[in-house]
Amino acid sequence: MASKYYDIDDILTEEEFAPVLFHKPANRVTIDPSAETNYVEQGAKVELPFWLAHELHLRQAVSINLPASFDQKTRLEIQADAACVDLRSRCPYFYEFGCKLQPLVTDRTLGILLSTAFKIRYKERLTKVFTATHLTASKFLPFLTIEETNLYEAAHLSMTAFKKWRTGGPRFQRASILGRKRKES
Amino acid sequence: MNEEPLFEAIFFATPAIENLSLRLPSSRFVESEGIESDLIFNPQRELRFLEIYISMAGQTDPHVSLFSPQEVEFMAEDEMVEIVPNMNMDPLNFISGDFGRFVPQIPTQVPLWLAVALKRRGKCTFRPPAWLSVDNLTQVLEAEREPLSKFQELPFSYVEIARLLFDHARDDIPDMYMVRSLVEDIRDVRLHKLETNLGTFLGTSAVRMQNVSAMEVNLVRPFAIRALEAFYKHDKPEADEDRGTRSSSSRQPPREANNDEPRRPLRQR
Repeated sequence: MASKYYDIDDILTEEEFAPVLFHKPANRVTIDPSAETNYVEQGAKVELPFWLAHELHLRQAVSINLPASFDQKTRLEIQADAACVDLRSRCPYFYEFGCKLQPLVTDRTLGILLSTAFKIRYKERLTKVFTATHLTASKFLPFLTIEETNLYEAAHLSMTAFKKWRTGGPRFQRASILGRKRKES
Repeated sequence: MNEEPLFEAIFFATPAIENLSLRLPSSRFVESEGIESDLIFNPQRELRFLEIYISMAGQTDPHVSLFSPQEVEFMAEDEMVEIVPNMNMDPLNFISGDFGRFVPQIPTQVPLWLAVALKRRGKCTFRPPAWLSVDNLTQVLEAEREPLSKFQELPFSYVEIARLLFDHARDDIPDMYMVRSLVEDIRDVRLHKLETNLGTFLGTSAVRMQNVSAMEVNLVRPFAIRALEAFYKHDKPEADEDRGTRSSSSRQPPREANNDEPRRPLRQR
């Protein structure tokens, strides 16, 4: 999985916070900036970035709970109308993060939630890119997560390139290095 | 786990891939002397094509390689068309083949790029291909408009060929405006059909579509590959989860999908 290790989106996904419950006390760590001592006791609930939570989970020092972006409120909204939910303000890496959380959290319905949300949004929004005008498609751009935006960009780019080609144009392009003529000073 | 975009191989199930391996850019260069030197094509474009072709050979690139529409047009220009020359010329020897004696008023088969070049110098006229007639196109359009129909049989590069002919050979096609509007309509209908097709991807990991033309494939290729990858990623944790609940062993982080996981069946289109 070397290609994923250096992937910037992967790194940013793991930066997202996840609430954890400590099973073991931790000494000399400044996890919670508002605490007086550098000590996290057993049973404390803290928000940690995912990469840290994952490592501690492997050492069985914490257990991970679902973050707020995946809670009941979001689920209800997705069930009501998945296509219009503003996922980016909740969590820009909604799907990626969910996929990473899925094996670690005891909630079994996360995977189904992700895939249904994605399927509905995909069908409603993303497939309309090719024939919709720019206005209708771009109204929902701020609502899409980063992965969905990638898909949208891919489609949009190829569509604009095609339209540009269709209107014709010179078959040979002047090389950019020949640029502007410099005046002899 | 196989991270490579293996869907690209399946999605490419069109004849173009065989042709790609045979077409080298140097085929455009003239071998023998005594030919007008301006038939030699722009070498910058040839090099760009070669570079794209080589990068396509190593498919582990996570960034999806995309042919620009100009490149698809370039590849479409290798199709043979019939022209009627109006001058005498000896056989031309190119690396991609020899194109025979040009005798006035005798139709000859030449590749499209050569035909366009000759036409621009006023040395020939085109004979429109059989599929580019009003009757055939009307029939195709009616069939495409049927709800739930498959894609109709059309030449693989019909968009590019049609555009090149309209640009260079207006007077050679009877009822040019009618034909042009028909081709545009057909293209629109097929694009809509393609789009609804994309919307039905949900949950499959491989899709096969028949009779999609080169330009349409190029249009949806990056989008479709990424969409298929996303679906695969979302469905895999579900499949792993199902296996976990079925087995009675203690809960462990699910392993990567093994090779013995049954492959989902190809969805026929």
